[in-house]
Amino acid sequence: MQELLNTLTLGSIYLLFALGMALAWSTIGILNFAHGAIFVFSAFSAHFISDFVPLSMPAIILISVLVGATLSALTQWLAFEPILKRSKNHRSAELRILIGGIGVAAIPIALVDWATASAPFGFANSSYSTQVYEIMGLRITNTSLIVIIAGVGIAVGLTLWLRRSRQGLGLRAIGVDSETASLMGVNRTVMAIGTMAIAGGLAGLAGALQVFQLQAMGVETGDQLLIKAFAMIVLGGLGSMAGVILGAFVLAGAESLIFAANMGTWVDAVSFGLIFLVLLVRPQGIFGRQEVRRT
Amino acid sequence: MSVPTPRRHLFKATAVLASVGLLAACGSTGAGTQGGGDAGGGIASEIKLKGIYDTTGPVAYAGVGASKGAQLAMEEIEEQGFLGEDVSISLEEVDTAGEIERASSEFSRAVADPGVAAIFGPVAGQQAATVAPMAEQSKVPTIFNQAGSEGVVIGDYTFRGTAPMGTYYDIAAEHLEKEGLTDVAVIYNGTYPTFAEIGQEIFPELAEKHGLNITSSQAVQSNTQDFTSQAQAIAQDKPDAVVMLLIAPQSVTALTQLSQAGYDGQVMATSVQAAGNVAQAGEHAAGLMYPVDFSAAQDGELAVDFVKGFEEKYGETPDAYAAEGYDSMWWLARGIKASGDSSREGIRAGLQQVAAEGFEGVMGDLTFEGNDMRVSGVLVEWDGTDEKLVTQ
Repeated sequence: MQELLNTLTLGSIYLLFALGMALAWSTIGILNFAHGAIFVFSAFSAHFISDFVPLSMPAIILISVLVGATLSALTQWLAFEPILKRSKNHRSAELRILIGGIGVAAIPIALVDWATASAPFGFANSSYSTQVYEIMGLRITNTSLIVIIAGVGIAVGLTLWLRRSRQGLGLRAIGVDSETASLMGVNRTVMAIGTMAIAGGLAGLAGALQVFQLQAMGVETGDQLLIKAFAMIVLGGLGSMAGVILGAFVLAGAESLIFAANMGTWVDAVSFGLIFLVLLVRPQGIFGRQEVRRT
Repeated sequence: MSVPTPRRHLFKATAVLASVGLLAACGSTGAGTQGGGDAGGGIASEIKLKGIYDTTGPVAYAGVGASKGAQLAMEEIEEQGFLGEDVSISLEEVDTAGEIERASSEFSRAVADPGVAAIFGPVAGQQAATVAPMAEQSKVPTIFNQAGSEGVVIGDYTFRGTAPMGTYYDIAAEHLEKEGLTDVAVIYNGTYPTFAEIGQEIFPELAEKHGLNITSSQAVQSNTQDFTSQAQAIAQDKPDAVVMLLIAPQSVTALTQLSQAGYDGQVMATSVQAAGNVAQAGEHAAGLMYPVDFSAAQDGELAVDFVKGFEEKYGETPDAYAAEGYDSMWWLARGIKASGDSSREGIRAGLQQVAAEGFEGVMGDLTFEGNDMRVSGVLVEWDGTDEKLVTQ
């Protein structure tokens, strides 16, 4: 039971990180490789300010979310939109956005690296303190509860918003065919910048909550999570937010089981091996739709 | 101790092999050039050194620290007229920024410059192991700090001014034995070579030697970020102590989660936790112990003077990386003085002569196995805000 609770917490951390990335990728088609850098830079910005002024948890989260949203929206406006406009076709645009994302990511990461001299940073100066509860033999912290509620709550909320709201419908339309969506009155540019702002805000939220949960973050943390998030999205099925939720908890569950078996150095090999096996059977991912090619 | 090295791709290795091949093809181009010294020996009035290490990127802390220590030592050497009244030393630094291929190309350029008498090499293990064959091939004496990997000190021209962590980890096991903390759980980063070696080979041997019983040994990866499961398992077993061999961000999380899981025994870590790297763990890190090759809390005369001089120059307390850079520069100066020759060959001979005799540095009595430095190390305790000495 304790392992299940640990899996739920770890899965929620993964989920919070992956949600923003999945949202942008599955709707406006932006696979943002700067997502990890935005995640790190947002948390670092909150750390930087909280070092001068002791801040509460909500204030730290707010700063991190705002920085993430701003950085992500600026990335879309100043980097990805010009790339999209100048690309001749969808395939070349995708490749250029990938490379552009890597380029953009290098800047905030270099700044954090320089400012921290590669030392881990956290919110040691925050007024928030973690409490441990023991309920029926299970140990859980207040931070874990916040992470689980935030992760699952936002994931479900986002899924419902995409499925049922008018804006969600517009976004999904862009994901299917952006030109037709534009003809139907969807303003692709505004929607794309807005989506990237939400994705960045989620990265900021994930960054702040991860630091509260794990106490520290290293400058390379974003890159490590980026690969896992990529795997979760592909496993769950691109375009399916429910798939991302499942992917996050499957990966966290696999990792917890491997750790429980004391095979810690096999975590990536076994977890990603399992994902590979699933994709052999269902290349579109667990909840992904089969692609139909018309000739 | 060695610093973590990022993952690299095949094309980088190819570029490096090409560089080594080019040097080999050039034959004795490097060997024939004598930098910084008179053609017939003697100490040149200007000795030109090159520093090729990370001053930005993931292991910048090691490169920056070593650089600051070396610069301070250079100032002292010149002020004291240690090599002669009119002898000056210059150190031109190049940032490798965590890139193997950049280290390789900058190293190629440095060895091709006949004015360069010696090189301070990369601090990252993989970069150092890449350029070490080039140093041997071109016969340029190269001193590495950190870079604890295999394949770094490989011949007459490669030297290391940092004792590998495993060589002084004995003081940790000795302390546990002395305190009667015999049941020990080990958690280590199995994908980080230095920690994997200590966790799998060195510490089990030390445990046997000191009568310690390893109750559990858990390996994690460098990208493992959550230690809840491991911490709860350890807390349930209640060992007397935990040996924690993790990189800096991991150790903050692991310490916090061990504490949250209810574990209140002794945690023994590594020098990676020095220099305030566990400060973010706050109260959870109080009482943490780790062996280091240098601590600013050391009270030896040379160490006290070094700390004072460093604080005056930089306005901050020196860390182990700075001490290693400082002692390495003094090793070089002593070597030049011993051989009376600042040419590449003279420096090589002098460094080996000093290594054979050993000398007293800020890290204590420095001895050598071949060209590789050894220190006895000290055990320190982190009290939540600062380090204090446990052993002398």
